[in-house]
Amino acid sequence: MSGYHDIGGHAAGPIVKTELPFQHWEKQAEAIRNLLGDNSRRVVSLDEIRLGFESFGLEKYQAFSFYRRRLEALIDTLEKKGLITRSEFEQELSAVQSRWPLPDQEKR
Amino acid sequence: MTIRTPSPSHDHHDHDHDHDHDHGGATHEHDSLVVEDEVGSLLAQQMVDALQALLIRRGILSAGEVTMEIQNLEAPGTHLGARMVARAWLDSAYKQRLLRNGKDGAAELKIKIGEAQLVVVENTPALHNVVVCTLCSCYPRSILGQPPSWYISTAYRARTVREPARVLEEFGLTLPLTTAICVHDSNADMRFLVLPMRPVGTEGMTEDELSQLVTRDSMIGVALVVTPSR
Amino acid sequence: MSSLATTMNRVRFSVGDKAVVADLRKPGHVRTPDYLIGHTGEVIQFCGYFLNPEDLSIGRTSGPMVPLYRVQFRMETLWRAPQRHPDDRLCIEIYDHWLMPAIETGSDF
Repeated sequence: MSGYHDIGGHAAGPIVKTELPFQHWEKQAEAIRNLLGDNSRRVVSLDEIRLGFESFGLEKYQAFSFYRRRLEALIDTLEKKGLITRSEFEQELSAVQSRWPLPDQEKR
Repeated sequence: MTIRTPSPSHDHHDHDHDHDHDHGGATHEHDSLVVEDEVGSLLAQQMVDALQALLIRRGILSAGEVTMEIQNLEAPGTHLGARMVARAWLDSAYKQRLLRNGKDGAAELKIKIGEAQLVVVENTPALHNVVVCTLCSCYPRSILGQPPSWYISTAYRARTVREPARVLEEFGLTLPLTTAICVHDSNADMRFLVLPMRPVGTEGMTEDELSQLVTRDSMIGVALVVTPSR
Repeated sequence: MSSLATTMNRVRFSVGDKAVVADLRKPGHVRTPDYLIGHTGEVIQFCGYFLNPEDLSIGRTSGPMVPLYRVQFRMETLWRAPQRHPDDRLCIEIYDHWLMPAIETGSDF
């Protein structure tokens, strides 16, 4: 079945050669995913992540950068499998944000 | 920050696409690279920190493991693939073993391949190889590190399987018309490394000197290894 | 935690066989791109047995393991357009259940 990610042979524009740096959060997210999928845990597989971002819907898929998609899919998959709940993730995120707020978060 | 391509040609997506929208700081245009801007990146960092804290409290992983795994992600780079190429250039028996089984060939040089298998494909005057993953971003990360942004871009993934010669020209590579092209769509459990041709003018170079000539792009297949200028 | 897969599906193709990519229309996560559906290629390598990503994507890790092949397609027939070189080709990995034996008459080859 053709999903929005299945684009081999589609028309597209010129290839942008700009190289983006591999940011710390991206490495950290990939590291966490790798550990969760390793032989001692086998909690989340790469194919579950792929199914995750293939199921976002086109708008969300196109709106996020590559690693952000993977991070979102990872959180979704962990939640789907009952390993974390959305509310405890939100709680943890609030805790992080109160310690290290972004400008628009400081108003809280 | 958004990278925008110059006048992208419209692809077959039949939805209206004339707006910028904000999703935690990422904006995009059709066919552009989507990048997180500063706010988006900081938010993503917060999210990863929150996730990690939660998983640590659950006892599923430890901070030390994450640090080590980040180092594992940072460690591989072009130099590993380049060593394999240089050795293959100098030692034809090694080259045959490498072409037969890339993982074993790498292991001979004490290079560990994390993926299921590595298929090494050799460029010859008759055939040029180039690698793409149309579905996502499969790439031999355990020897080349992270793929460049263009490798995971819509444009590269969409066009390389259909018009490889035009794509190569955008990278400045024009192949002779007598050279056929083989595109490898890396979609499953194998990972691919192109063994580029050894350029002229490199006779007498040591393995170290040769490996320094080998670029990441030549091992993906969008460039040749060039003769060093003296 | 996952259990180890114990069954392996039968290897149905040998190197050199011509095979057609089946239009399985499976929903969810698949690793066979749309642009191959209905086309005939030549099996060039047997890659081994692997867990099916379609199963893995929904958390099924107990198998069966499926054979994986590398299959080669002529660009000219994939895109039904003249190519810059008659030997321009595409190689890709395909799991056994996506392939059907090609009938030699009037196919892409």
